[in-house]
Amino acid sequence: MSYLDKTIVELHELLLKKEVTPLLLAKEAIEKAKKDPNNAFETIVEKEALEFASSLKECEEDNLLWGIPFVCKDNISTKDILTTASSEILKDYVPVFDAEVIRKLKDKKCVLIGKTTLDELAMGGTGTTGHKGVTYNPYDPSKTCMIGGSSCGSCASVAASIVPFSLGSDTGDSIRKPASYGGLVGYKPTWGKISRYGLFPFAPSLDHVGFFTRSIEDGAILLNALQGYDPKDGSSLKDHDEDNLKNLKNGVNGIKICVFKEIIDSINDKVILDAFNKSIDNLRSKGANVNIISFPKELLNAIYPTYMVISCAEATSNNANLDGIKFGPRGEGNTYQEVMMNSRTKGFSELIKRRFVIGSYSLFKENQEELFLRAQKARHLIVNKVNEVFEKYDIIYSPCVSKARNPIKGGIDDKLSSTYLIAENHLAIGNFGGYPSLSLPIGMDDGFPFDANLTGRVFEDSLVFQVGYALEETLGYKNLSIEKVVK
Amino acid sequence: MKEVTLELLKQCANNLLFDMDQEQYQTLLEEFATLFKQMELIGKIEDIDSVTPLTFPYPCQSYLREDIEGETLTLEETLKNAKEVEDNQIKLPKVVL
Amino acid sequence: MNFEAVIGIEIHVEMKTKSKMFSSSPNYFGASPNTLVSPLDMAFPGTMPTVNKQAVINAIRVSNLLNMEIDHTLYFDRKNYFYSDLPKGYQITQNDRPIGKNGYVIIDSLDGKKKIEIERLHMEEDTCKQLHLSTYTLLDYNRAGTPLIEIVSRPDIKNGYEAMKYVDKIREIVVFSNVSDGKMEEGSLRCDVNISLRPVGESKFGTKVEIKNLNSVSNVQKAIDFEIRRQSGILLSGGIISQETRRFDETKKETVLMRKKTDSVDYKYFREPNIAPIYLSDEFVQKAIDTCLPSLDQKRDYYLSLGLNIDEANQVLLSFEMSNYFDKLIEGKKYVKTLWNLLMGEVLSYLNKNEIEINDFIVTPSNLVTLASLIDSGEISFNQGKKILQEMVKNDDDPKKIQEVLGLKQNSNLGDIESFCKEAIKNNPQSISDYKNGKDRAFSFLVGQVMKLSKGKVNPQLVSKVMKELIDKE
Repeated sequence: MSYLDKTIVELHELLLKKEVTPLLLAKEAIEKAKKDPNNAFETIVEKEALEFASSLKECEEDNLLWGIPFVCKDNISTKDILTTASSEILKDYVPVFDAEVIRKLKDKKCVLIGKTTLDELAMGGTGTTGHKGVTYNPYDPSKTCMIGGSSCGSCASVAASIVPFSLGSDTGDSIRKPASYGGLVGYKPTWGKISRYGLFPFAPSLDHVGFFTRSIEDGAILLNALQGYDPKDGSSLKDHDEDNLKNLKNGVNGIKICVFKEIIDSINDKVILDAFNKSIDNLRSKGANVNIISFPKELLNAIYPTYMVISCAEATSNNANLDGIKFGPRGEGNTYQEVMMNSRTKGFSELIKRRFVIGSYSLFKENQEELFLRAQKARHLIVNKVNEVFEKYDIIYSPCVSKARNPIKGGIDDKLSSTYLIAENHLAIGNFGGYPSLSLPIGMDDGFPFDANLTGRVFEDSLVFQVGYALEETLGYKNLSIEKVVK
Repeated sequence: MKEVTLELLKQCANNLLFDMDQEQYQTLLEEFATLFKQMELIGKIEDIDSVTPLTFPYPCQSYLREDIEGETLTLEETLKNAKEVEDNQIKLPKVVL
Repeated sequence: MNFEAVIGIEIHVEMKTKSKMFSSSPNYFGASPNTLVSPLDMAFPGTMPTVNKQAVINAIRVSNLLNMEIDHTLYFDRKNYFYSDLPKGYQITQNDRPIGKNGYVIIDSLDGKKKIEIERLHMEEDTCKQLHLSTYTLLDYNRAGTPLIEIVSRPDIKNGYEAMKYVDKIREIVVFSNVSDGKMEEGSLRCDVNISLRPVGESKFGTKVEIKNLNSVSNVQKAIDFEIRRQSGILLSGGIISQETRRFDETKKETVLMRKKTDSVDYKYFREPNIAPIYLSDEFVQKAIDTCLPSLDQKRDYYLSLGLNIDEANQVLLSFEMSNYFDKLIEGKKYVKTLWNLLMGEVLSYLNKNEIEINDFIVTPSNLVTLASLIDSGEISFNQGKKILQEMVKNDDDPKKIQEVLGLKQNSNLGDIESFCKEAIKNNPQSISDYKNGKDRAFSFLVGQVMKLSKGKVNPQLVSKVMKELIDKE
């Protein structure tokens, strides 16, 4: 009998009734992880997981996460467990400290099963650039369509029901977009709400730690456990720790939701548009006010280049510590420069190097005004405009992707098209303004799921979950996983 | 702005202490062309210079840390990831001043 | 042709906080390698900086003492470059918004008081320490992250003497505000000099040469004076100054070339995204200023008000630690002169002889004050006091106990004193008449005779008093 296609809430009931034990769950998860055909794992921590799971005897009634197995993206620091960021430059790096989110989940007695693949250093959106190669979409036996990234392994393992939840990180859409290809709930919080201490930085002003679950309620439970001020994270929020379960089931009556017409216009896929329109009808039927409004197209077109310039600039600096001296494989050389040069030349893949050069170039004194600072200004304009929208509306609602099946080879060629610039990249709005942002499945296209996204005002993470819960109830895509769909 | 040439890109990469092969620089050159086109669109946004550069997503603040000695790593923890160690220190080829 | 020198000085001061600038690992000098290290100091991925409150308080205090405008919102920036001693590949500093700007200090130049303007003061972090051996280099991360303040002067300084006075003034300020040890020889105060020459009357600046590794205030002066001579020589013979970094060679007493400067390095500064703005309340800033230890000038005024002369005051103030010990001695504002004499005489020579720092001096201030009270009350003589002190330095015992054990007591019995005095008068009739004829020295001679007769055990003040009375009666 399989347990791991169940939600956290369902598993907690079984654990309480002692129908199942943490050890049994851990064993099943490890078995599945070992057989994983999707290349979702960097490391499986069998010994530690079994040891810890066997130490858990009495289920804590008020701790819904007690004994629940999970996996974690491999750019989140785990003490004494290899953490590679799916990059050769960290292929042997064993951290000496736990990320704050890991510490919190340990406190809650969650059982870490393994570390999952990502696009190298989280810099990518395809799930194809990690040092272990492509991570596949569990919904696609032909292995031609992407699961998306950069949190590809964390998404694939929840979609394949290896575990009921996983940790990821999101700098542009790295949780919320793969969530769509994997038919999962994917969430990133208000910037500062979940500590980033221990997250390998890509672009700190845009980085968030978040998670994948298979239900909205599971997400709210996790947020309750992971939120909170952390003095080790200088951007951590104080005094914003409401109970996210409290208003979860309060419905959407009177909630003001808007949809950007320009985003809808940038999508041609009929299945996606139909499902999205149907979900709008559902929201309206539950009493929400949903309006289609216009948002300046020039600002939407600016999202992707703005994101590229800012994130690459920050990334080139954040990753300057990877030099082979203190940790990571060391290159040969007769001078320290040669050692660093050989370590870095060998350690980074081509894509990463190109992004670093772009970032570095954008920061040169004579280029900053026209590139880095201009991108930061564009970010400001976009955030100002979105904040204006939030004066009238509680939630911005949008499809996550332009189509459910995105081929790994031969994607969108025209990098100046609306489909590319807007439909495929608008979720970065959530990172620009640090807004709470939640993706959840709204439909299936011939066996491939896809999500829509709810983004709210900063600090209003609870409301985003509340709306998500109401929407989930009307759609019937709760607790989607490959096992259920294929069966 | 500095004109982007293959030589400049190589120099940029070497400043970041890595190298790429010729083909990769060529790809990068093309990537820059696309980025410049996209950035041009941003330059054309009417009120782009009416705002300040934004670093933090929303008005937020950090707090000062009390000046108290905290825990330190053990020598083993500090050095276990380093490849060359001598006398409890990380060893490098001689750094010429 | 006459040239004038344009000199700017950048001073890095290591702060003596308990923890580091952006991490909570301990901050002190002299621990064994790599034992004062936290994950951030090693630049392990995922670590994040947090700003040390005391470092900010220190920066506010020094900014205030340098008459600067103080920014009440803190921002930090990254300075990006690769070097073997820089763990993160960037240094966190304050490029855009230094905490202090537009200040000045007044120094004593050769032409009298002179105002040296200071452009900026900012906080940053130190790099790790490199030990260069014959064929390789070893890295010790204990120093990585030590809090620094950097103070950048405007180019108001004209010669080596002014530079020396300026650096000394800054050193005095950071030492007396308890921000730093200010020890140039240990590197807790480091000084880089930028110097260029131009013909008098010319407004354009000449080519700048940087001098590094100046490890004493006097070397600052020597290096600059040498460099002015060197550059004038080149210019007078029609040569060109090249842009370069030089260091001061102490044995040759001259500056020598370290490296030619090529294009200036582009540090690709940008705002540190892991530290959101920090808002300092007016109260916080004011309190930092109000609770700052007194400056050297304030201390000197105080000592003068307690009756020391200027030389005595300056002598104590040569060392911050010594003056702090002295401050504890004079908390009760009593026996000030005697305490000064004990401290700068016996105590100091004891410390010097045994190579002990005043901070490690075993005698507690309260015991030393007791000793001074014994002397000033006439209970013992100053010389007896010295003998007691020689015992006190062993175990910090109560001076009264030592006095008892050694049997040191001044005889103040009036009967005894009178009989000694009478004997002296009887033996020296000539002195009596000399004294009555106005020769004061005769009186001292008589007192001396009494001390001799008593083997030094009677109280000299009482002897004078009794002697006077006896002579007056005759």
